[in-house]
Amino acid sequence: MFEITDNQLNELISLGLSHGGDWCDLYFERTTYQDLILRDSQVSAGGFSLDCGCGIRVLKSDKTGYAYSESLDYNSLSNAAKAASEIADGSRCNGRELCVCTRKAPSRYDQKETWQDSKASNFIPWITGLEQEIRSRDQRVEKVIISLAYSTSEIMMFNSLGEKTSDFRPLGTVMATVLFCKNDRKETVNVSRSFRCGAEMLSESLIRELADQATERLDDRFLAKRPKGGRMSVVMGAGASGILLHEAMGHAFEADFNRKGQSVFSGKMGSRICKEGIDIIDDGTIFGNRGSINFDDEGVPSQKTYMVRDGILCSYLHDRISAGYYGVEPTGNGRRESFRYHPIPRMRCTYMDSGNDGTVQDLISSVRKGVYVDEFSNGQVKIGEGDFTFYVKRGYMIENGKLTFPVKDINIIGNGPQALSQISGVASDLKIDDGNWTCGKEQSVAVSCGTASVLVNNLTVGGE
Amino acid sequence: MITEKDTELVRQSLEFAQANGAQKASATLTRSCEDLVATLDSRIDKVTHCEDSSLSLNLFVDGKFGNYSTNDLRPVPVRDFILKAIDNVRMLTRDECRNLPDPERCCKDAVSGYELGLMDKEYDSVTMERRKQTALEASAFPYKEEGFELISEEGEYSDSVYDCYLADTQGLSCIHRETNFDYGVEVTIQDRKGNRYSGYWWESSETLEGFNPRECARKAIAKAAGQIGSRPAKSGKYNMVVDTEVASKMVSPLLKALNGYALQQNCSFLEGSLGKKVLPRGLTILDLPHIKGECCSRLFDSEGVATCESEIISSGEVKQYFLNTYTAAKMGMSPTIESATRPMVAPWPAKGLDRNAILKMCSDGILVTDFNGGNNNGTTGDFSFGVEGYLFKNGKIVRPVSGMLVTGNFLTLWEGLICAGDDARRCMSKLIPTLAFSNVDFSGE
Repeated sequence: MFEITDNQLNELISLGLSHGGDWCDLYFERTTYQDLILRDSQVSAGGFSLDCGCGIRVLKSDKTGYAYSESLDYNSLSNAAKAASEIADGSRCNGRELCVCTRKAPSRYDQKETWQDSKASNFIPWITGLEQEIRSRDQRVEKVIISLAYSTSEIMMFNSLGEKTSDFRPLGTVMATVLFCKNDRKETVNVSRSFRCGAEMLSESLIRELADQATERLDDRFLAKRPKGGRMSVVMGAGASGILLHEAMGHAFEADFNRKGQSVFSGKMGSRICKEGIDIIDDGTIFGNRGSINFDDEGVPSQKTYMVRDGILCSYLHDRISAGYYGVEPTGNGRRESFRYHPIPRMRCTYMDSGNDGTVQDLISSVRKGVYVDEFSNGQVKIGEGDFTFYVKRGYMIENGKLTFPVKDINIIGNGPQALSQISGVASDLKIDDGNWTCGKEQSVAVSCGTASVLVNNLTVGGE
Repeated sequence: MITEKDTELVRQSLEFAQANGAQKASATLTRSCEDLVATLDSRIDKVTHCEDSSLSLNLFVDGKFGNYSTNDLRPVPVRDFILKAIDNVRMLTRDECRNLPDPERCCKDAVSGYELGLMDKEYDSVTMERRKQTALEASAFPYKEEGFELISEEGEYSDSVYDCYLADTQGLSCIHRETNFDYGVEVTIQDRKGNRYSGYWWESSETLEGFNPRECARKAIAKAAGQIGSRPAKSGKYNMVVDTEVASKMVSPLLKALNGYALQQNCSFLEGSLGKKVLPRGLTILDLPHIKGECCSRLFDSEGVATCESEIISSGEVKQYFLNTYTAAKMGMSPTIESATRPMVAPWPAKGLDRNAILKMCSDGILVTDFNGGNNNGTTGDFSFGVEGYLFKNGKIVRPVSGMLVTGNFLTLWEGLICAGDDARRCMSKLIPTLAFSNVDFSGE
């Protein structure tokens, strides 16, 4: 995979630890990325990028030294190892030869039709087919932009325990932006799907699924208005509403924010933070899911991690640094954007599991006044305070237990811990959303999210 | 950084592309280096060293266009990369609107990369010890005041150098060089009741001499402490004063709506506005790309088109769209530069107004010091943002507010422009001063 011998790997680790570091790891990566873009009914833009390099990290206690080389020649790698070693200021230590232990990756993603062996031109008919299907569904379609992007990453990790880990990560993503016009009014709809799999994802059924989603309840989008704002109950629909869970709670569960005393959940381990029966999970093991990984980017096997079990906060999301600090095992959440970044605790697929409070209709029926939301975007949270704001792209007003009129372009504002404590119902309809979710905490990484339908009492809804 | 060997590689790459089927091509070679020292609670937490390089090619082959990049700059892999790229671009659909910019419009003055004075010769003298010292001296931890205690302080010092060389097959040859010195600090404080508040501040300069990070931590702590006891104000219509630190949130959507891609795809609320007075007479936005020694100054855009001082909006009239060669051809219009380089909102109605003067002018309202989430619809101009800041009365701050939302439409918001200050921070990419608007909808209690 990479032209470097076990002896050279050993020597680089020795160089990294030469100033007294406790830990050293190497992260080799070769990524190929290709995209194709349809605009004005033509696939007339596209391209590819090739990116290759090695990141070298040295830890001294919980302090990090990091450097990388885009060249994989041994001299360049040695210089990077020396630069990373500077985090430790102790005397020189003599390296010891590591016994290299090669670990086999589990198979959480597969390519039946490999991207790397396919010609990009083969995918153009599929893209134009998707455009035609969307246009055939509704006469109000004015513009369609479709992008297909796919990448493959070859990764090899080696650390100062002698563990050598390899992975091959495919990722395919299709996105469509559709502009609908009716008289003077315009509505834009974005739909996407992203999977860790090969080109077999580009099926006829995916075309129908995306076209369905782009055009569903279109009349309601044109009728939607901003409601009068105020404090009210909010029912979050199953699936994509999980992004609120990711932003408003998930980040606050990441162990680096807690280790540094910044998270609103610092010091709350073992406490009840929401009602009994609620489980909040970060799962890196769902087959083919965008957020799944065989190993994290520190070589730790991925896992299904319960952050909240039966309403009790039971685990943060750890990388090796925070796991060492808290004296627990790492949870496989040490992730990075590329070899240019050192790993930090990051989510994978974060969701709230199904509850025992019936169906989404049961939740809606129990609300006198509120909103039902099934499409959020642009969420933001302040980790220290726990305050969050989310933009509602699509939803409905609930009055006396019934959906009355469509709403859009409003915000929901609240506080993470308070919102968790105000959850009064969770339906039994867990849905994982397969959209193109990317988390931007310092670095961009592929994630996904989901949730069962949830009823939260007393959030601020901003409207007219 | 960029050497004669690099410029030769670019020239050879362009010649190789033409020899193998490309009629036209442009190439951008970049090299950058960054060193960073992070502190956590007044001790060194992280040290990083990064060196990057990349070669990016725009290829025009038989009326088709593609963009390709690689970070392997060895001659043989580069040639292999170009052959694959030419093969790849051939599968795309012809698009006659794709072309290189007219050479007459291209920059001819960026010869050495030093023309704008953005490269500090002191950069090479900065040692790792000095970086560590700078980061540690900027820390304020530990810190305690009546009513609160600093519980976390995360600081980050970095310095970097960035070189960019752009050439094309029509004779374009431009170089840009700059250095940067940055420090940012994020603090979390805890009040007596156990409530946490966070604050952030940063400083940046192109030169070591102009760089002073020492007040950052104090300012970040003051921002966090200012929010102690914050709660929403009553819902209603208020004057809204937006602090210069975050005022670009009100201006960026206007600039984005003037971008060719949004206009060509009918996704802009400023569609059809060129030459029309669709904004208030108090709003003038200039583009000032050639201010020596200031961040974001550039002699050329990514196509190599020469930037120039220009009016974007003058007394409410839209003076230009941002159309690159492609979007201009698609729209049948004359091309401009691809985006605003260094936009500046001109003071109005008078020069010299700062935040305090504007609060007095407005008398009552809400001062917004931070945005928290929300969105705007680029097609309609509708927006809704989470905000925090201060309620003010008779020109004086009364109490902090948070958990509020501001909602409206950008065209109607700007109709209510009360004034634009004269206090933009020079280290920010857009020179946007404190802004004040009347009759804005806030949702709170």
